[in-house]
Amino acid sequence: MTGMLRGFIRGVDAVNHRLGRVVMYGIFVLMGILLWSSVSKTFFLPSLWTLEMAQFVMVGYYVLGGPYSIQLGSNVRMDLLYGGWSDRRKAWFDLITVCFLIFYLCVLIYGAVSSTAYSLGYWKDAPFSFLFGVLTGAEDIGRMEQSSSAWRPYMWPIKVVMIVGFVLMLLQCLSELFKDVLRLKGETV
Amino acid sequence: MPYEMIATLMFSTMMLMLLTGQRVFGAIGFVAVVAALLLWGDKGGFDIGFAAAMKLMKWYPLLTLPMFIFMGYVLSESKIADDLYRMFHVWMGGLRGGLAIGTIGLMVLISAMNGLSVAGMAIGATIALPELLKRGYDKRMVTGVIQAGSSLGILVPPSVVLVLYAMIARQPVGQLWLAGVVPGLMMAGLFIAYIAIRCRLNPVLGPTLDEDERSEIPRAEKLRLLRAGLLPLIIFAVMMVPFVNGWTSLVESSAIGALAAFAAAVLKGRMTRTVFENSVRNTLGITCMFMWIILAALAFGAVFDGLGAVKAIEDLFTERLNLSPWMILILMQLSFILMGTFLDDTAMLVIVAPLYVPLVGALGFDLVWYGILYTITCQIAYMTPPFGYNLFLMRAMAPPEISLRDIYASITPFVIVMAGALALVMIFPQLALWLPNYVYGK
Repeated sequence: MTGMLRGFIRGVDAVNHRLGRVVMYGIFVLMGILLWSSVSKTFFLPSLWTLEMAQFVMVGYYVLGGPYSIQLGSNVRMDLLYGGWSDRRKAWFDLITVCFLIFYLCVLIYGAVSSTAYSLGYWKDAPFSFLFGVLTGAEDIGRMEQSSSAWRPYMWPIKVVMIVGFVLMLLQCLSELFKDVLRLKGETV
Repeated sequence: MPYEMIATLMFSTMMLMLLTGQRVFGAIGFVAVVAALLLWGDKGGFDIGFAAAMKLMKWYPLLTLPMFIFMGYVLSESKIADDLYRMFHVWMGGLRGGLAIGTIGLMVLISAMNGLSVAGMAIGATIALPELLKRGYDKRMVTGVIQAGSSLGILVPPSVVLVLYAMIARQPVGQLWLAGVVPGLMMAGLFIAYIAIRCRLNPVLGPTLDEDERSEIPRAEKLRLLRAGLLPLIIFAVMMVPFVNGWTSLVESSAIGALAAFAAAVLKGRMTRTVFENSVRNTLGITCMFMWIILAALAFGAVFDGLGAVKAIEDLFTERLNLSPWMILILMQLSFILMGTFLDDTAMLVIVAPLYVPLVGALGFDLVWYGILYTITCQIAYMTPPFGYNLFLMRAMAPPEISLRDIYASITPFVIVMAGALALVMIFPQLALWLPNYVYGK
């Protein structure tokens, strides 16, 4: 049991750590797009794609970087009471309250999946089986959603990025949960 | 259940969840989605969380956030501000309390390059604070100086808080930024006056530099140090000039500013591997913190909107309690400070603002002017215990001889000065509105 928990924690942390290390350079991609946008606007024709592309990069940046930010401990907590507790009490409280966080992420994932299914032209009530069907080839893609701007990009890729990011965030939170379980069993994490 | 009850219940559940010490975004997001599911079930209740993500994506001005955060880290990590501090040190050292006054000047310049208070705080606590303590300045006074001075970062343009406010209030960012200039400088002036008066009455608090130390520095060196002051002016200019003239958008200007700060650090040979690594990694961490909290708070706000909570509160004040608009405004500012002492600053911004701003608009006040009141209130809330962003940062960064007691005691006079500035801007709206009206020719 303990071995499995440890394996899960190691695996998830490693994946999210590597991804985060790559995603953090996204700040330069974002900067590049915005600088290109100012240059092209001043000297040639304004580009149509820069605004939305920058938004997509930003979404990728904070959603895919989220799990790594949890590892870094950047997400603020209100430490009026929490700051003064013993490690054991902290672990107990986190063990319970991280489940609320996980519930929130599950709702986010559900919303992301149904919105992705919609962007692939499906609007009935079984988005999960539809997306699964698309992957296996059992379902056909309908009319794909496009952004209402002049550039008109397809919307599904960014939504898929969000699903991936939210799922990784969920896994990271489970990893945090298991770390607390191990701590409460008196093991070093 | 009446809607006010649901709103109150949501609010108190959230406060309780926050007290458990779970990550702020988790606490807010959980209350939001559970409330949405209970209220609307499968008719949209499931979608409110993700709808917030799409809305967040389309908030274009939010792209300035990582840029300003990156800029702040580059400025503070690369210690590019050392020379700037030296400049004030050498030129102001001869006055009583001169180093403290110089530190306020330093903070104003850093604020002009940066949109958050973190950079000013880091630079103040690591560069200015040890120097001031070494010269025998009163530790309580200088701790207060750095906290109050760095909070100018969100009032003097560029300001991230005003960008967020602009999105919520649907006001032009350019006008809001310009509106922050005069009150920001005025507040800096009030701080300086306070320091000067106290040090005149009681010279022990801020002794002058020794004759010997001052005469050691040759005139040429003094003039050379003045050049350090050019850097913030250049960075401020490359960012603001294209923006105010309408050549680039706000977001594009922030990218130019980030590039300028980065280039300055590289040219000065300060961009080492460690500085680069820390800046890039911390930018990701802090941006994620902000974005996830805003993501959750947007969902929370959407449920509040769906309940019509704003209308209910407005009715409560105007119809049932029969208060005048000014009374409501003052009550709002007071409750805001009170909440600010309990709530995390970002959470406060995205939860309280959508509630208050429409109310202020409905009462017939100018929303650009209110933006400045709002920002000054945020500054005060940052500094007041038990929860203050600046207080926490100070505790993390200050040298060990400064205790938590000192930090708490140090802010009192400055908070009073800031409350005075708030009152002045309330009584004389022209302090805020004159500059934007002049530039945009309204």
